[in-house]
Amino acid sequence: MRNKLEKIINSEKGLAYLILVPVTVLIFFMAYLPVIQSFRFSLMYYNTRLPWKTHFVGLHNYFRILSEPAFLSAFERSAYFVIIAVGLILSIAMGFALLLNERFKGRSVIRTLVILPWAIPPVVNGFMWKWLLNGDYGFLNGLLYQLGFISTYHPWLMHPLAALNWAILTFVWRFTPFVTILLLGALQSIPEEVYDSAKVDGANARTRFWYITLPLIRPMLAIALIVIMIYSFTVFDEIYTLTGLDPATKTLMMYDYELAFERGQFGLGSALAYMIAIFMFLMAYFYIKSIYKEVEL
Amino acid sequence: MRKVKRISLYLFILIMMIWTLIPFYWIILSSFSLPVDLYSTPPHWIPTRITFENFKSILITGKGFRGGIGTTATELIKKGLFNSLIVAGTTTLIMTFIAPLVGYTFARLNFPGKKIFFFYIIGMIAVPSWPVLIGLFSEFSKLKLLDTLTGLIILSVAYRMPFDTWFMRGYISSVPYELEDAARIDGCTRLGLIYKIVLPASLPGLVAVVITSFLFSWNMFMAPLVLTYTLRSKPITVTISEFVGQYYAEWNLMSAGALIAIVPPILIVLLFQKYIIKGMVAGAIK
Repeated sequence: MRNKLEKIINSEKGLAYLILVPVTVLIFFMAYLPVIQSFRFSLMYYNTRLPWKTHFVGLHNYFRILSEPAFLSAFERSAYFVIIAVGLILSIAMGFALLLNERFKGRSVIRTLVILPWAIPPVVNGFMWKWLLNGDYGFLNGLLYQLGFISTYHPWLMHPLAALNWAILTFVWRFTPFVTILLLGALQSIPEEVYDSAKVDGANARTRFWYITLPLIRPMLAIALIVIMIYSFTVFDEIYTLTGLDPATKTLMMYDYELAFERGQFGLGSALAYMIAIFMFLMAYFYIKSIYKEVEL
Repeated sequence: MRKVKRISLYLFILIMMIWTLIPFYWIILSSFSLPVDLYSTPPHWIPTRITFENFKSILITGKGFRGGIGTTATELIKKGLFNSLIVAGTTTLIMTFIAPLVGYTFARLNFPGKKIFFFYIIGMIAVPSWPVLIGLFSEFSKLKLLDTLTGLIILSVAYRMPFDTWFMRGYISSVPYELEDAARIDGCTRLGLIYKIVLPASLPGLVAVVITSFLFSWNMFMAPLVLTYTLRSKPITVTISEFVGQYYAEWNLMSAGALIAIVPPILIVLLFQKYIIKGMVAGAIK
């Protein structure tokens, strides 16, 4: 027995399969099977509160979701979220990365501190900003009042149009460090000599940025762009604690949670989940394609 | 001119630090302030007296609000903390053991179907969250894994696989072959080879794997939100989210709770920042 095991471990094939078969089984049950399962649900009328009524309905759920006005407005919110988040994060992170690329005292300490927002649980981040923006005793009110900008406190998150913007800001705050580090890595890989020769030619800081830095970090910018798109499209935790199921912040992810787990509509929820997945696949497709393109360069 | 540039650089750095640190300052201030200081208009930006009362109520006496079904804040925080530590700790431990093995398999061994296995594991990245969770919910209820710590551990181990495999494979590939050859001539078994020769040589990679695994399972929220429903298995992220639904909000206590939840990941970042930066960059380019 012992000998046999030793033999397996010492042959390349044996060891590889001994390691990979359990992993494969695990992943099948934790990822691929559930996905197949929920695809099956998406073709059925399936409400967890009325399980006896479950029956096959074909693509009906998909058509029903598409015809819901709630879907369209949730889609708009998600799209708005992604566009604003991408713009804000890319520009803030670019600024931070440029700052951190300069030489100054305590740079490594500052760099570490800048990463901190990225490390905390997103759901706690949502809580934190809910408290910062609180209408009765929150930080923002206190600060603006102290500085004399407002004379009474405002319930910032209650304004329907503003709530989504605050949710974006909350996400931007947590996700900027990640992109900052990516861009900083790209900046640091640019050899010093490139700048030196440009300086000799009389290029000023702005010209150097537009004509040297930006083109050289373009591959990383492309990667960052897609990463932000995918993550901002699937934000859930932050919104859950910041505004909960408030209609003002009901993005596609929130809408799907409400459908499947608040209302028990597993059939409809699965159909919507698959539509979200299709959007994600499209984004991931461009992501992978852009990486391969950049690697070839 | 140079001086102006220097000053504006420091000014921008100051702005960057304010933006980054203010939410943390607010949470720390709230959890160490007396309610009188905190709930005044405007609040005392520096507390008149630092108090540990909030932590005492939330960790020991259980004073203050109650959660959904009459559980005290203390139970929510303590049980949540315990569950999170178990899930994140066990996941990390398992990944420390498995990631080098799987990484080694793809970096060094030759076997039929290698590419297929690899894409099968890496393909998980593309598997989106809601379809998985809806399917997992019904699968977990059949396997009696709903509302168990075991279920959460299995899940988070599975979802660490693609990143950790990729990362360890890269790291182990960069370890020179000669090291292994020498050891093999000395009669070292292959498993011995992995743990005694290859692993020490790729230690920075393993540290990054361990840290990101811990952060991932500690911060996990969506999956436990739908797959757990009692304090038997709810991690701290879920119990914190329940605070917010309170009718009567005690922000000083809730801040103390939130601070407890963010201290472990923050400590890890402060201690291991070098490895984390490496892991972050590698994670995005995979």
